[in-house]
Amino acid sequence: MADPTMTLKVARYRPEHRPKPYFDEYEVPYREDMVVLDALNYIKDELDGSLAYRWSCRMGVCGSCGMMVNYKPRLTCSTFLREFYPKHVVVEPLENFPIIRDLVIDMSDFMEKLRTVKPWIIRTDEHSVDEGEYLQPPEQVDRYKQFSMCINCMLCYAACPVYAKDQEFIGPAALALAYRYNLDTRDQGQDERQQIVAVDWGIWDCTFVGECSVVCPKDVDPAAAIQRSKVAATTKSMMSMLLPFGVEREED
Amino acid sequence: MKRTEAPPRYPVYVPKVSRIWWLRTGPFRRFAAREITSMFAAIFSVGMLLFLFALSRGRAAYDGFLHWLKLPWVIALSAVILGAVLYHTATWFRLTTRIIVIRLGGRTVPTVVIAAGLVAALLGASALVAYFHIWF
Amino acid sequence: MATTPDEAGGREDELSWGDVLDQSDRLEVRPRPRGRLVLQLPSLEALVWALFSAGGFVTAILVPVHVAVLGIAFAAGWLPRSALAYERIVHLVHNPLTKLYLLALVALPLFHWAHRFRFAIHHQFGIGWKRLAATACYGTAVIGTALAVVVLLRI
Repeated sequence: MADPTMTLKVARYRPEHRPKPYFDEYEVPYREDMVVLDALNYIKDELDGSLAYRWSCRMGVCGSCGMMVNYKPRLTCSTFLREFYPKHVVVEPLENFPIIRDLVIDMSDFMEKLRTVKPWIIRTDEHSVDEGEYLQPPEQVDRYKQFSMCINCMLCYAACPVYAKDQEFIGPAALALAYRYNLDTRDQGQDERQQIVAVDWGIWDCTFVGECSVVCPKDVDPAAAIQRSKVAATTKSMMSMLLPFGVEREED
Repeated sequence: MKRTEAPPRYPVYVPKVSRIWWLRTGPFRRFAAREITSMFAAIFSVGMLLFLFALSRGRAAYDGFLHWLKLPWVIALSAVILGAVLYHTATWFRLTTRIIVIRLGGRTVPTVVIAAGLVAALLGASALVAYFHIWF
Repeated sequence: MATTPDEAGGREDELSWGDVLDQSDRLEVRPRPRGRLVLQLPSLEALVWALFSAGGFVTAILVPVHVAVLGIAFAAGWLPRSALAYERIVHLVHNPLTKLYLLALVALPLFHWAHRFRFAIHHQFGIGWKRLAATACYGTAVIGTALAVVVLLRI
């Protein structure tokens, strides 16, 4: 009796051979504990060494192996073949990103969006080293813990129809990251970040489709982060309307 | 913000976004349905405005409007509006439970409780409005 | 990841990751105006989102019973005769509190629709002119609100 196999339809893009992406079909051995990444590694080792794709930790913490598996954004290291067996599996590069080669996408836009939200503790009054660390009890950590679990896998950007249409949109992961820092009690940069995210291409462009949170492998729930950011921004706006003159002290 | 990175020095393929992306998957279709219910909210507003307009023009116009409400096609339209608005209510409550975070002494109020509160508000407000509308 | 401007062939004023981290305390997206008192105007987007939100709650909690009473129960003849009698309703509406309630009931769902439709025009129908679409949508809601004010004042 022949060992069970499974068919993978893998997207290829090799502009030096063909100008547009196309599909190659591969038959890989099937075992119950195999994930899509195992199949891709088998293809690369045994069938077609020219296949290009990203992966690293193979255990769902590095965020490298995000791809479209049967038209849904998944981590290939965490997607078991047995979910689809015996039907075939379609593997494509992550949606809404330019394709560099085969399953490798250009993530420079994402990296830029991450840094624009200033994802670091901002202080208006720095403690000196002698004053010790900024202490934070566990209850305060719990406030933002969920939003700090992002592994930058970009599945949320692949799932977001707003980002698909508007590449300017800052996007779920970056906005969730901004919210994570705004919730951090050690941070004093809410006003600074508000100017960055409370803009037309930031939180206001989100229409709460919610797919970003559905596909997130770490349950960060970026959709909730963005809507809560809207509430925070609106509350701040209403307060400033009631007290129109904000007093700012200029420190030179 | 626009990209400030220099473009890569190799050809990249940028796939086109389908114009009917919102029909392609179940979740996107449900999203589109949810957004469309807002049209029925607007239709209700217009209907309410017409009701008040008829009221302002005197008894004859008002009775004419009431008569119009009883026409079969208007009842059908009302049924459709009611269905759409109730779908809006269900989706709106679900969305609200994901946004509202209430902390009581270090613990968070569970979403079920918030949902129950919203349903209680719906029933309570409906009872109050019905009372004033019909019997007061 | 950092590429210096000359390496990547980009513009001279582009910043590398290192520059951004070094200067993070000085970099601003929009420069803060100098001086002691700063006039803070509320963001327009925040305002329309607040209206959209309020409209969402009004539509979710108040609209169903109105449609059920007027559109279904009355039309099917389930209500007592006096329920929608002209004198009783006019008397109810004369109360300024009722007028305020009715204004919210008419206006807020319109703003809720306007906000959703404005985004649907761009995101779902793919039509580009965002500012025109936004003005048309919110403008319609404003007109509806104005009409409601006029009508309610006449009752």
